[in-house]
Amino acid sequence: QGTRYDQERLLRKSCTLYVGNLSFYTTEEQIHELFGKSGDIKKVIMGLDKVKKTACGFCFVEYYARGDAENAMRYINGTRLDDRIIRTDWDAGFKEGRQYGRGRSGGQ
Amino acid sequence: LESLICRVGEKSNSSLESNLEGLAGVLEADLPNYKSKILRILCTVARLLPEKLTVYTTLVGLLNARNYNFGGEFVEAMIRQLKECLKVNMYNEAVHLVRFLSDLVNCHVIAAPSMVAMFENFVSVTQEEDVPQVRCDWYVFAFLSSLPWVGKELYEKKDAEMDRLLSQTESYLKRRQKIHVPMLQVWTADKPHPQEEYLDCLWSQIQKLKKDRWQERHILRPYLAFDSILCEALQHNLPPFTPPPHTEDSVYPMPRVIFRMFDYTDDPEGPVMPGSHSVERFVIEENLHCIIKSHWKERKTCAAQLLSYPGNNKIPLNYHIVEVIFAELFQLPSPPHIEVMYTTLLIELCKLQPGSLPQVLAQATEMLYMRLDTMNTTCVDRFINWFSHHLSNFQFRWSWEDWSDCLTQDLEKPKPKFVREVLEKCMRLSYHQRIIDIVPASFSVLSPANPVCIYKYGDESNRSLPGYTVALCLTIAIKNKASNDEIFSILKDVPNPNQDDDDDEGFTFNPLKIEVFVQTLLHLAAKSFSHSFSALAKFHEVFKTLAESDEGKLHVLRVVYEVWKNHPQMIAVLVDKMIRTQIVDCAAVANWIFSSELAHDFTRFYIWEILHSTIRKMNKHVLKIHKELEETKARLARQHKRRDSDDDDDDDDRSSDREDGPLEEQIERLQEKVETAQSEQKNLFLVIFQRFIMLLTEHLVRCETGGIDVFTPWYKSCIERLQQIFLQHHQIIQQYMVTLENLLFTAELDHHILAVFQQFCALQA
Repeated sequence: QGTRYDQERLLRKSCTLYVGNLSFYTTEEQIHELFGKSGDIKKVIMGLDKVKKTACGFCFVEYYARGDAENAMRYINGTRLDDRIIRTDWDAGFKEGRQYGRGRSGGQ
Repeated sequence: LESLICRVGEKSNSSLESNLEGLAGVLEADLPNYKSKILRILCTVARLLPEKLTVYTTLVGLLNARNYNFGGEFVEAMIRQLKECLKVNMYNEAVHLVRFLSDLVNCHVIAAPSMVAMFENFVSVTQEEDVPQVRCDWYVFAFLSSLPWVGKELYEKKDAEMDRLLSQTESYLKRRQKIHVPMLQVWTADKPHPQEEYLDCLWSQIQKLKKDRWQERHILRPYLAFDSILCEALQHNLPPFTPPPHTEDSVYPMPRVIFRMFDYTDDPEGPVMPGSHSVERFVIEENLHCIIKSHWKERKTCAAQLLSYPGNNKIPLNYHIVEVIFAELFQLPSPPHIEVMYTTLLIELCKLQPGSLPQVLAQATEMLYMRLDTMNTTCVDRFINWFSHHLSNFQFRWSWEDWSDCLTQDLEKPKPKFVREVLEKCMRLSYHQRIIDIVPASFSVLSPANPVCIYKYGDESNRSLPGYTVALCLTIAIKNKASNDEIFSILKDVPNPNQDDDDDEGFTFNPLKIEVFVQTLLHLAAKSFSHSFSALAKFHEVFKTLAESDEGKLHVLRVVYEVWKNHPQMIAVLVDKMIRTQIVDCAAVANWIFSSELAHDFTRFYIWEILHSTIRKMNKHVLKIHKELEETKARLARQHKRRDSDDDDDDDDRSSDREDGPLEEQIERLQEKVETAQSEQKNLFLVIFQRFIMLLTEHLVRCETGGIDVFTPWYKSCIERLQQIFLQHHQIIQQYMVTLENLLFTAELDHHILAVFQQFCALQA
């Protein structure tokens, strides 16, 4: 119960978004251009396949200001990048290791 | 209760009239227990849901008919709310309140003569002396903009007074100054649609309404169905309303220009679009703007609400919606909401009306393209951003051949320039080859460069370049994970082309050192943004040392440009990082942008994105330190309060000094920090203005002596970029007016340049 409350609190204050359904070819530069439309980006961390260390279809975008992340959720979530509809979600915060895909294949 | 009230008027199985009647009954029954709550909710919807104005005035009318006292209390609460809004500069919401009150006349809640009296007090503000014009403007606007709703009723009851009010208004409008208007116009041309100042347009609309004997047929008036009930009700008199006086803290709304891009000729098959001076046009536009204001945070709801605007088959709604959205997107100084919202709103609208809206949007795009020659540069920026982002959601499908006319023009002209910038932005959202594939071969001259890095020491053929061997050395060292110290020692061997004598440590400005180091590092880190950022972080110490002087900072920026001139996006993110890690400062970036090395790119969009981003960082920095200072002061105050409230004895005096000490020191340090930051901020703006003045003066003198026309594409771009600085940062710049007037924008300046400053001064005068 305690950790769930903490998790919710982190999400409410978070400036970081998880971005899913990316094409494997989508680059950090494209992410920066699109997500930069809602505000200044602090950091982009591209998701990697744990085994192959290649692109894995997701990434994290961290903003300096929560308001900018909120606008990304409002206006970039559910629109297209590389012709795919991407989806964004609040993330409790990037920690080392979370940039790797999970599961046995390393690509989930 | 809230939900019941907020939802009335939305799609339902029963008619609006029966819903209102039912709700009035429910609320009347609840009055004994929930009166203050009901008052509060009704006041709030009056303020925040102006697009449903007449629904709620009808509701209040029904309640007043059933309970006279409630009606009176509501009117009093509204007046209180109006005064509050005016006190805290919430002028846009205050207009909605005034309109609501005036519609209450139609619902027999307020007596017409007392409303006229309030308007008399409003219009008499135009007689006040030594007040800003924008103050009088607001009161006149509040009066005129209520007349579509209540003009008929007021004129019927008090025609002599109304005539007097209208003639007073007319003489005010004739004598007010309009120097600010050119600065706010989206196009510099008057054809096909003049960009009218908002009060002038509204005045024409009201005059036409009066000529039509105040017949207004567009507004939905539910109270008409209840006429028999409502006219039995007793009316209240508005208390005499004195407009709150002007204070130093009063900030009035900026003047506006009315954006028009369509008229009845643009949709020959559909219903007729009301004329530009018809009151219907005003009401429709007001309501659509209000809907966007109410729902901008939820794009799907916003799109649905816009499309369910009543009167769908009597007006070309899609055209109105598209026009209103572009009006906001292109509004100067700034759009009411974040730009990206409009892009996704239009996409949602296309989803909901796939058979009709995309065509209107394509038509609008075509029209905007055709008028690029006279479009304000800032608005062109927004058009570029919107169009490229929009295309990226539709596989970049566009009939580019339709725009082949731009291929025969000089590349600096607005149309080819627009296409180039759009293609560059499209590339940023995809990749280079994609853009080559989507445009016809004839457009290759406008296609963006392949965003590759240019490394001057890369080829063996360059080995005669000074510093070539050091570059090789550095490359190997960095690949072997060298430390900052090792880098320093390698760089020691680089001679300084600027000085003859040898420096002991060689840490003064040495452009060759900077060149070799920055070129090599950026080349090694070229793979992605993250690689480059890591490189900046890892060798931060080297950067700081090499770029210690102002010349050093400037040179670092120059080298970054030389390496990455094919990849403007990379330049922008590197400059951003270097400012944030204090490798360069904002003034260095400003000087770099105006340097001769960048003259070739001076009119490119990315340069101005970098400059404005730099200014914004400076502004945010000042705000952040200021906030820290205020917070620390508050902590100290709380500490004092805690101490004062305890029962003290003398021993505590010493400990309290000890407690205060660190906080007071912190406050002093922060105070200094704030002053330094503010001075840096002011200096940044002064540098920028100074450079603009130098550049523009040079051009004007050259044209004069050469006998050529001043108005080249470069000049138009440059002078509008100067305007953009004023407009985009007007709140900060207001603080510097005296300095600007006395130091930079003096009477000796060429009148072309001075005009920009005068227009800016006129904005809040």
